[in-house]
Amino acid sequence: MSIVADTDRPDTDTAVRTEVFWGVDCGSAEIKVAAIDREGRLLTTRRGRTLFPLVEHVHRSLAGLGDELSPIIDGDRAKLPADGRPPKLRPGHKVFATGYGRHHIDFVQGQLTEIKAHYLGVQQQLQLQQDYTIIDIGGQDAKVIRATPSRVEQFAINRKCAAGTGAYIEELAHRLEVPMQDLPRLAAAHDKELTLNSYCTVFSGQEVIKLLMQGERVENLIHALYRSVVKRVLEMTAIDTDTLVFSGGVMSHHDVLMPLFAERFDAVRTLLAPNAQFCGALGAAIHGMNEESDDGLPNHQ
Amino acid sequence: MNVGTIDAGKTDVKRVMRDYFTDLGEAAKDPARKVAWCTSVGPAEILRAMGFAVYFPENHGALLGATRVSADTIPVANAQGYSPEICSYLTSDIGACLKGVTPLTKAYGLDSVPRPDVLVYCTNQCKDVMHWFAWYARKWNVPLIGIHPPNHLPQVLPEHVADVAAQYRRMIGQLETITGAPLDPEALRLAVARSREATDLWEAVLNTARARPAPLSFFDGAIAMGPIVVLRGTQIATDYYRALLAELQAKVIAGQAAVPGERLRVYWEGMPVWGRLRQLSDVFANNRAAVVASTYCNSWIFTDFDAEQPLESMARAYLSIFINRDDAFKEAYIERLAAEFGIDGVVYHAARTCPNNSNSSYNLPQRLAAKGIPGIVVDGDLCDLRCFSDEQSTTLIEAFLETL
Repeated sequence: MSIVADTDRPDTDTAVRTEVFWGVDCGSAEIKVAAIDREGRLLTTRRGRTLFPLVEHVHRSLAGLGDELSPIIDGDRAKLPADGRPPKLRPGHKVFATGYGRHHIDFVQGQLTEIKAHYLGVQQQLQLQQDYTIIDIGGQDAKVIRATPSRVEQFAINRKCAAGTGAYIEELAHRLEVPMQDLPRLAAAHDKELTLNSYCTVFSGQEVIKLLMQGERVENLIHALYRSVVKRVLEMTAIDTDTLVFSGGVMSHHDVLMPLFAERFDAVRTLLAPNAQFCGALGAAIHGMNEESDDGLPNHQ
Repeated sequence: MNVGTIDAGKTDVKRVMRDYFTDLGEAAKDPARKVAWCTSVGPAEILRAMGFAVYFPENHGALLGATRVSADTIPVANAQGYSPEICSYLTSDIGACLKGVTPLTKAYGLDSVPRPDVLVYCTNQCKDVMHWFAWYARKWNVPLIGIHPPNHLPQVLPEHVADVAAQYRRMIGQLETITGAPLDPEALRLAVARSREATDLWEAVLNTARARPAPLSFFDGAIAMGPIVVLRGTQIATDYYRALLAELQAKVIAGQAAVPGERLRVYWEGMPVWGRLRQLSDVFANNRAAVVASTYCNSWIFTDFDAEQPLESMARAYLSIFINRDDAFKEAYIERLAAEFGIDGVVYHAARTCPNNSNSSYNLPQRLAAKGIPGIVVDGDLCDLRCFSDEQSTTLIEAFLETL
């Protein structure tokens, strides 16, 4: 793991005990931020759109507004330093990054993948004592993580196109000219089971158009869209635990998905992770906390 | 960063390869010499013994991929009806020929690939080589000779060997009409003996990575393997690997690591992603993971070569290659190497256009995981970067290393 923080700066001096651990999840659609204290208690969350230059928007998300808790010193909060140096962090604050943009932020103290981050975020909040499976549907990928109470055992990420991800739902909502937030309500009004077959988002769009031309109701197509997401995710890997935990922004915005997943199993307990959208960011913060021992010095594996 | 860290001097692979291509270029221009094209695990020893300068189009495919010229040449072949789903060595190479470009010009000063007097393929790897060479045979009206061995064998039986040896004998007759001279049995014995010596040294080179820390990685090996592919049957290959082995043995004694701070040891299954060797090497190195063994580099270990039975031993050697075996063999093979090299996990490269050299599609990763050898499948391709995602691959590999 590459640690890129400027450890010579007095405000990140390792002698100062870290009081607040920040996690930033640089996803394809949104930047999510979470902060925890030394006991792992969630202090704050916030999010912003993923725009570019990424580092500017990550800085903005971390900086927050007004009296909001921020890891960045007052002098560097309004914008990134003009001289190109990384923004300085407040004494006792550290930032850890996850998500696809994790390697592109130059003022964090460490990185980890979304797989481990989501696991840590889920396990910290739910304190599960048995093996379980996390299903995380993000903007451009879907993940299935088999976990134990102590570790990630194995995982899978979608391999074929964007089918089964937030981008897929977004594209088809666009095709159907339905606002994203109306999708769950409309799906609930379906009266017929239809099937969308393609792996490919574009080809699925063509299937939708064909069905519309045949006179199918939009509600039935939206229901088919959700069922397609479930199929695409479940074909990624075999699930052998009796507990499913859902995380990620898509699951928190599309509550219709959870029962559709549940009905594919004989007996399974389904849980929506608290702060589902922030599990990755929270996990990054927890990773930072785990990296540091009680004396404030870094733990090295 | 490991790519290209193998020391210069006597073991300078670039010099060896430059000499090889310079000679090929001269042979192509010399009316007194004949050029044969041969598939990478084809019967090169026979061709060498008969005096051919031997050119390997798959090596050219790898060069097109590594230089990323293939991004411009694959679509040219696609547009001619060669599907994006078939071997991207083939599409890279045919597209390059149609465009009139080759990385050999910049690297070695060759105007073009050397024009063949005969094309020799063996379908011990796949059938794509047959279609590939057939394109050139039609284009240039050049003789095309195919060796068609039995495929995907659980065991290599005497009847398989006899079949392929008979095909070699028939091929030799055809080649003699091209060279105008009979095959000298002594020259064949010498070529096979040299191949055996070179391949034994190559195996020893790869086995130095059993040491902790490993002195070379798969990414080094993918560069250093050039001579065992294109110079089998020559003294040059033997000399190169003898010197390289000595160098690596010294590194083992000195505790010199290919990946400083080696923490994890990984097996790479499948083809290299030629256009991303450096980036992938960095991903592993940044996570202090050394890729210490691979199916790909090991595929040029031919322990069956025997100068006393040149044709039969060649047949056995080229029938026995990993890619030509059944899944039970492959499973046992990786399991054995995982134990011998102290492997923590396997990265399976599912190469979109090379299903024959991708072994993650028939449950093999799951079977090995059940035996305590965890793995992850990374989608990609040998040359076609349209099939590869840098971000997803990095996340997959890093997340996998986090679990080990």
